[in-house]
Amino acid sequence: MENRLEELRKERGLRQEELAEALEVSRQTIGSLENGRYNPSILLAFKISRYFGVPIEDIFIYEEEPL
Amino acid sequence: MKRKQGMYVALAAIGAGLAVTALILRNYSISNSLGGALMGVGAGLCTMGLAQLLTLRSEKKHPEQMKQNEIAMKDERNVAIRRRAKALSGDFLQWVVMAAAWLSIGLDAPLWVSLLAIMIFVFKNIFELFLIVHYQKVM
Repeated sequence: MENRLEELRKERGLRQEELAEALEVSRQTIGSLENGRYNPSILLAFKISRYFGVPIEDIFIYEEEPL
Repeated sequence: MKRKQGMYVALAAIGAGLAVTALILRNYSISNSLGGALMGVGAGLCTMGLAQLLTLRSEKKHPEQMKQNEIAMKDERNVAIRRRAKALSGDFLQWVVMAAAWLSIGLDAPLWVSLLAIMIFVFKNIFELFLIVHYQKVM
């Protein structure tokens, strides 16, 4: 799943460490989310959405794989 | 914090008590295996208690580090990584136990060794099934 986390973070001039502290997760988790290696739980997705004031579907882009 | 500290002090004290008991009883009619077990468990508990006390002390001195440790501990990705690692190592271990059972049969080891390995394998799988049923009910 792709996401716009890095873009949103950079828009606000935040470092990964600062975002991690605000979301109460590790900096590595932010890195993994930005690289698309890790998909967040629904709770963390809501936390991120609320933090940036952007709907979840505008941050995490879900594309169904063709059958 | 104080409760934790008390618990670790108690753990270290119990451990030290067991180790000292093993040393005292060494000269009496205690068997070697019981003495060794007492000493091993005592030393283990004592070391664990002391290590936790040192960690608490260090966290008290560096509250920022403590907060980071707490976040790293609760971090959902770290939790997922730990759970996956535990599940995979558990799976791997069950096949090692099964291999040990076959090996013990091949090497003509005493029957109880093979039976014990098979029992561990069966118990692990029954327990796993029980957990699957349990989680299907609660999740």
